Amino acid sequence: MSCNTSVTRVDVSSVGQAQRAPVHLLPCEIEHNGPAQVSQYLTATTKDCKLEKTVSFRGRGLKGQELSCPQGYTGLVLKEINKPGSDQEDRTVKVSSVFDKLTYWNLETPPNSDDTIVMAMDWPELAEAIHGPVED
Amino acid sequence: MATKKKQTPNLQNDSWVVIAADSVIDTQKNDSDPAFVRLRNPSTDAASLYMLSSGDVQLFEVKAFEEDFHSWFVGQTVQRDGRLLFLTPMDPLYLILPYLMTSGKEGKFQPVDQVVMDEEFPACSRLLSLTRSLAFLHHIAEEKEVGKLKFHRYNQEKTMNWLKKKVERTVAMLKARSISVGEGVKSITYIRVKSDSDYHEEDYLRYAHGLISQYLSEDLSKALLDHLQLPELTSPKETEPPSKKRKLSDKPVEAGEDYTKFNSADFVRKPSKKMTAAQKSLAKVDKTGMKTMSSFFSPKAKAENK
Amino acid sequence: MDLRPFETDNSVSCRLSSQIPDVCQTEDCCLGIDEAGRGPVLGPMVYGICFCPVSKKQELKESKVADSKTLSEAERENLFQKLDEAKSYLGWALQILSPNTISTSMLQRTKYNLNALSHDTAIGLIQYALDSGVQLTEVFVDTVGPAEKYEEKLSKLFPGIKVTVRPKADSLFPVVSAASICAKVARDRVVKGWNFAEDLGEVDVDYGSGYPNDPKTKAWLLKYLDPVFGFPQFVRFSWSTAQTLIDNKGVTVHWDDDDEDGEKAAQRQNNRSMLAYFSSSAGGNDQNPTHRFFTERRLKSLDRL
Repeated sequence: MSCNTSVTRVDVSSVGQAQRAPVHLLPCEIEHNGPAQVSQYLTATTKDCKLEKTVSFRGRGLKGQELSCPQGYTGLVLKEINKPGSDQEDRTVKVSSVFDKLTYWNLETPPNSDDTIVMAMDWPELAEAIHGPVED
Repeated sequence: MATKKKQTPNLQNDSWVVIAADSVIDTQKNDSDPAFVRLRNPSTDAASLYMLSSGDVQLFEVKAFEEDFHSWFVGQTVQRDGRLLFLTPMDPLYLILPYLMTSGKEGKFQPVDQVVMDEEFPACSRLLSLTRSLAFLHHIAEEKEVGKLKFHRYNQEKTMNWLKKKVERTVAMLKARSISVGEGVKSITYIRVKSDSDYHEEDYLRYAHGLISQYLSEDLSKALLDHLQLPELTSPKETEPPSKKRKLSDKPVEAGEDYTKFNSADFVRKPSKKMTAAQKSLAKVDKTGMKTMSSFFSPKAKAENK
Repeated sequence: MDLRPFETDNSVSCRLSSQIPDVCQTEDCCLGIDEAGRGPVLGPMVYGICFCPVSKKQELKESKVADSKTLSEAERENLFQKLDEAKSYLGWALQILSPNTISTSMLQRTKYNLNALSHDTAIGLIQYALDSGVQLTEVFVDTVGPAEKYEEKLSKLFPGIKVTVRPKADSLFPVVSAASICAKVARDRVVKGWNFAEDLGEVDVDYGSGYPNDPKTKAWLLKYLDPVFGFPQFVRFSWSTAQTLIDNKGVTVHWDDDDEDGEKAAQRQNNRSMLAYFSSSAGGNDQNPTHRFFTERRLKSLDRL
């Protein structure tokens, strides 16, 4: 399988130019990759009450909250610059945005600690237990 | 209401939202860039995606959080792919282990750079450059030095001791993070009856063993189970009882204990929760039995029969 | 009529009310209910109640409050002025259902249709009057849809009160006309001065009547259609006019409950999580299934970026 020879390089020098961007995880699939008036519509109409945020998207009620990246972790958005034509070629991605917290939204359900994304944030700490060096 | 449209494939994805260990983007000492590579997954034997840090110093595992019907807003853009990738530091010994084990069958000490080679996954030789590879090989292999050359031979006993430490550390973390090991997914429709302190040590051990086994071949996973003195359960699926089922079956298990007591010769029924060693093992036997019974009537069984 | 409580947050439902006249707390009262803005694709739906002592019915009739639909906006404003001047014996209350409330209710997982929303709002307003000490004996309701069932429902909920539900009640009972005027005036003012929560700069307010068949309304909708977000919250997304425009000109969005009712979706989700439980890892190794720590957290290995 020759595609195993190709690597995807992360152009780390691009972190310096990366903008800090707010990121939102939505409970729906939007069939679109590209620009959107997020601040004009979503941010401008978001209501903050205590720990819960509310907004609506396409007429549907969303409830959400902010989640911080686990300690020692940074949020990155990687973007591929020139997609190669074949599987065999090396690829390059650059860091287009960075973030230290994200907002996730549920459809109608208030955010809570049983939300899968909240539970998924357990992973880095558990990975540390599984993968950290063992003392002799 | 207008008709709903069918989902079209997302062929044009060129962007990924990632939560990465800070060390991924730390390149002070090296001028090469970190890179995603494909390596042989020690558990599945198939290709999985990993990352080698800048200068091949550190290894990272790539895990994707993926739920249907999700997309991102990143700044002023939509990203249809709603996955969240985690880049977490990984112990390279898990990936080196299968190669050492294979060569270990010959029983000879060998130079490790001649062992960790894979035509299918050429990047695997880069594993040996990692800070935590050569210096830590003694956890899984015997070492011999002849002149300036080092030779290694896989050692099962060392490996088991090393893995046991991993399991113990994982147990400690599971407890510290109050991760539910007995019931699986907490559901808002269920009220948790058990507090974390009610979980048996064995629940933690099995759970941690299951986690570590995600990085081991099946044989090694079984050997580790042995080493941890955990009896193998009849069905491999029993090691991971379905969440809600487990809870249902817990009650009868408790009752089972009491009946045992009631039937015993002294006929004195103590309210004490403590069990004798014999009762413990009996309860364990019961437990497995009950689980199989209840799983018979669970949706799980139905799904499997389909 | 001070609309500020609604205008500070026009994404939610809001109640506005007059002072309760003292006489309404001591004398037997009649109460009328009507709604304004049920049909338009834009702006809120407003429910209004008016109440006064039964003894003042004639006085109300002589003030010439007629069916608000036959009146011009200016005439309605004038009549509202008159009603306000009668505050010694006449009280009113309004429930403004924001277009966002209408959208999110009607598009909810477990659908909450407009009739149920209307009924609950009317019931809420009657209850409000009762809670405020108004001595209700008669209630007159204008209705869309079957009157008998609605009348029966309200009579059961409010025993001891004579409930009359009639189509076109606003032209039959002055107290319903009065309620109609209050509701309509509020809706007109809110629509006219709509405070767009979205950051859209200067918004063209020439949206016509707001009815889907009005060409001006349609042109406005087209102008303010955003391919990703659809429309500002001023628009009722649950109206087929809005939905069709989004389907045709917007980006497709999929929800987990598309094409099914809430219960079915929940069931399906449940099934999926059960199945995911037994799904094996990417390599298809059945002997070593993905640990539930990962399946429960929807975490999986990747074999390519």
